[in-house]
Amino acid sequence: MPAADFQGSPASHTSRSFLSLRRDQVHSMDSNDSTNQSQGLETFQRHVADFLADLSSASSGDLLSLSWVQKLLDVFLVCQEEFRALLSGKKEELNRQPMNRLVNEYFDRSVKALDVCNAIRDGIEQIRQWQMQLEILLCALDGQKSLGEGQFRRAKRALIDLAIGMLDEKESNSVVSQRNRSFGRSGVNRENRSMENHRSLSWSVSRSWSAARQLQAIGNNIIAPRPNEILATNGLAVAAYTMNYVLYFVIWALVAAIPCQDRGLQTHFHVARQFIWAGPILSLHEKILEESKKRDRRNSTGLLREIHEIEKCARHMNALIDSVNLPLNDEKEDEVRQRVKEVKIVYEAIKESLNPMERQVREVFHRIVRSRTECLDSMGRASTS
Amino acid sequence: MAENGEEKLIAVARHIAKTLGHTDNTADDILQIFSNFDGRLREKLSEKLTEDDDVLNNSSLDQTLKALDRRISRYLSSDRWIWSDSADSAAFLDAVDDLIGVIRDWTPMAAEKSVASGLDRAEDLLQRGMFRLEDEFKSLMERGGESFDVTRYSNGDPTGFDSDEDIDEDENDDDEEIPVAHRISDFNIVIDALPSGTINDLHEIAKRMVIAGYGKECSHAYSSYRREFLEESVSRLGLHKLSSIDEVQKMQWADLEEEIEKWIKAANVAVRIFFPSERRLCDRVFYGFSNASDLSFMEVCRGVMTQLLQFADAVAIGSRAPERLYKVLDVFEALRDLIPHIQMVFSDQYCLFLCNEAISIWKKLGEAIRGIFMELENLIRRDPAKAAVPGGGLHPITRYVMNYIRVACQSRQTLEQVFEDGVSAPVDRPSSSSLLSVHMSWMMELLESNLEAKSKIYRDTALASVFMMNNGRYIVQKVKDSELGSLLGDDWTRKHTAKVKQYHVNYQRSSWSKVLQVLKLDNNSSSPTVELRAMKEKIKLFNNQFDEICKTQSNWVIFDEQLREELRISVFSNLSMAYRSFLGRVQSVADTGRQMERHIKYNAEDLESKVNELFRGNGRRK
Repeated sequence: MPAADFQGSPASHTSRSFLSLRRDQVHSMDSNDSTNQSQGLETFQRHVADFLADLSSASSGDLLSLSWVQKLLDVFLVCQEEFRALLSGKKEELNRQPMNRLVNEYFDRSVKALDVCNAIRDGIEQIRQWQMQLEILLCALDGQKSLGEGQFRRAKRALIDLAIGMLDEKESNSVVSQRNRSFGRSGVNRENRSMENHRSLSWSVSRSWSAARQLQAIGNNIIAPRPNEILATNGLAVAAYTMNYVLYFVIWALVAAIPCQDRGLQTHFHVARQFIWAGPILSLHEKILEESKKRDRRNSTGLLREIHEIEKCARHMNALIDSVNLPLNDEKEDEVRQRVKEVKIVYEAIKESLNPMERQVREVFHRIVRSRTECLDSMGRASTS
Repeated sequence: MAENGEEKLIAVARHIAKTLGHTDNTADDILQIFSNFDGRLREKLSEKLTEDDDVLNNSSLDQTLKALDRRISRYLSSDRWIWSDSADSAAFLDAVDDLIGVIRDWTPMAAEKSVASGLDRAEDLLQRGMFRLEDEFKSLMERGGESFDVTRYSNGDPTGFDSDEDIDEDENDDDEEIPVAHRISDFNIVIDALPSGTINDLHEIAKRMVIAGYGKECSHAYSSYRREFLEESVSRLGLHKLSSIDEVQKMQWADLEEEIEKWIKAANVAVRIFFPSERRLCDRVFYGFSNASDLSFMEVCRGVMTQLLQFADAVAIGSRAPERLYKVLDVFEALRDLIPHIQMVFSDQYCLFLCNEAISIWKKLGEAIRGIFMELENLIRRDPAKAAVPGGGLHPITRYVMNYIRVACQSRQTLEQVFEDGVSAPVDRPSSSSLLSVHMSWMMELLESNLEAKSKIYRDTALASVFMMNNGRYIVQKVKDSELGSLLGDDWTRKHTAKVKQYHVNYQRSSWSKVLQVLKLDNNSSSPTVELRAMKEKIKLFNNQFDEICKTQSNWVIFDEQLREELRISVFSNLSMAYRSFLGRVQSVADTGRQMERHIKYNAEDLESKVNELFRGNGRRK
């Protein structure tokens, strides 16, 4: 299929049909026949490689956008389905070593991923809070209203609240007291607690939870299968290795994109190069890492494209408002209207895609649990599992 | 006439205003005086004035705005909280209302430049007023919340919750007082999270903010504060932020049990008391603005609710180890009982997802319970056959499984529900039995076949039969002794009691038939000496075999006293009959019984006492 079809686009239905086509192919893989199995394994790996290449081919404007992340999650779901299909009906094999250990390890990793899914939902909630500040901004400056001092002040405060919300927790307290002084009443003794009102949300995880540590735990010890293992498991060990990396990468990319507690992206990807998906996964990993190192993205709370958009248009808006001298001349007014339009575009994009993405994260959560339960049950669990 | 008089008065007022219209302060003051004089005048004055020409229009808007500016600005610059004085707050609100009214009235004419600039100033003033209102709003919430501590319980012990108790006699639901001075024994207690007066104040402010288009800021200020308050209240109930599924997996079971206890209490208090209380507060503060109310409520409660649900989720996802059953059942039942309340309090459009999540997690808990039973089945199936119990006694797995199931079936109703819920398609089964009973009989089957495999380890078939007897008897007893009896049905009990009897028969046959065979005498009349010799041999053989059996089988175990007696009696009665007739024959053949006497080791009583030492087990007194 031509590469043009796979450009990440708001019309993600194109990419969806691509993935749903794959989904149909999954069903044909459910088979015990050994030739079919080795074919199935190859197909699985090829699919993974194709999906990742497709994700990698996104333009710089689309990489890590909300629609791209949705595609990423879709990819995970399809891959896990294929993996599950490969494992189905192989009860005896799954109960033998080394496959038994490999499968259990995968499911242990997937449980760790569940926590990240929950943390991501917190991050999505944060973005919603920023969306609300944008809404206030638009309320103040959008529409036919004439632009007076009051509106600008209101917009400015929303921008400051937005900036505070987008800061790292530790930095926010000092900014908050500044903010209070300019907008609140001076000379009023406020309790510390009210400072925290400006931190929109507390994380739902405990203070000691760390996304970086969780990622490390997931990525820890993913060892490429040795030839004798591959032989002993009829190739299934390769499928496990592949799926482990798909899981690891998807979770890592999620953490990269969405704000969460203690995001750290410096985890290692030691993929054995002989696998056909190794290239695509490493190139994607590289691209995202590069993005994280860019000067204007280094301190961002998340690499999501839309977060960058918010940062950019907030910055522009801030600068603009600061430069405003009332009464506005036509030129200035046009400029303001222009910037407001920018904000509106970002706001609408987030409003449209954020909820569906959250539902998808929840779906990923469900499917991980379901897959794990079904597979472990069909294997006849060990009494300790 | 009155009408005319009024008209005249208004005309005069207008004239004065017109005349003095260009001297700002005096004109405003005069208008102010007129307006304050009579409310109608105020209306009529502004009304009439808008009908005049542009210049007068502008200056009226101007004047109105100037007056409003003064009324509002004097509060904006004040250091004190406006709401610390009710006259101040009323005046401020009045001014804001007027300002909102002016903006509304003049906006249609905004095309005109002078009006537009006036409106700009009005909006500016409005924004400053709104920001101040927001500050006052926040301060009211903080100060109001301080004097109230809803989590103060009589003995400081948050574990004093018991939803099963009746309403306390000294019902004290006077809204103004500290609401929870006694144990929360009834969830119907009304908790007002803030003093009534404060709530009214908050409402008055919220009303203006929403009408003026600053509803989002108001809602945000409200929900930020209440959310923190709620989280603090919940954390005082002892529930840690344990939503990490990983942590829950790794926890020691004893610790997790404790967390589950805390969770059940916290969830009940949150859903039945805190959330409804927050809902009431929201509705009162945002009265008349249902959308703002719904939105704010969702923002306040979603975090805590999500946290509670995530813990239940983690329990559902956790290990299927059978000993977890009772606690998982507890969480299942707790959530089941809470769902109607959850649906009631989270009934608006924004909160629907919370209901759905609660239900889906509840279903997962059901799955987990089914999974635990499946795991138990696996355990039974996998229990190795090589562990033979010495003396053919009760096997630990029999004891474990039967006691486990017996206790589990005390939650029979819940389990029935769990198993029924697990079926997506109609299952083919006899209509009289529930899925639970199907599962239970399946488990019994598994247990029996496992025991049978174990019994084959014994080289002595008689011992195998004793083993089966023991375990079978235990099973039947436990079944009769519990819900299992009605679950499995009378037929099942009859059949298995018969099975135990069959093992009894098998035992009898394999142990004693040979010995009894020895005691059989041919009826052919050989010479007495031949017969006597044969009898001597027989007696010797009998003695040996009998001794042998007694030696071996005295170490065997029959755990059930009744069964033991039954066995001894039946062994003895068979034996004694045969022995007696044998001895009889011996004595009739031997004239001089003394000859045989030294060979005859036992008489009937001796036999009995020997038999009574059977099945003693390893030296334990029986």
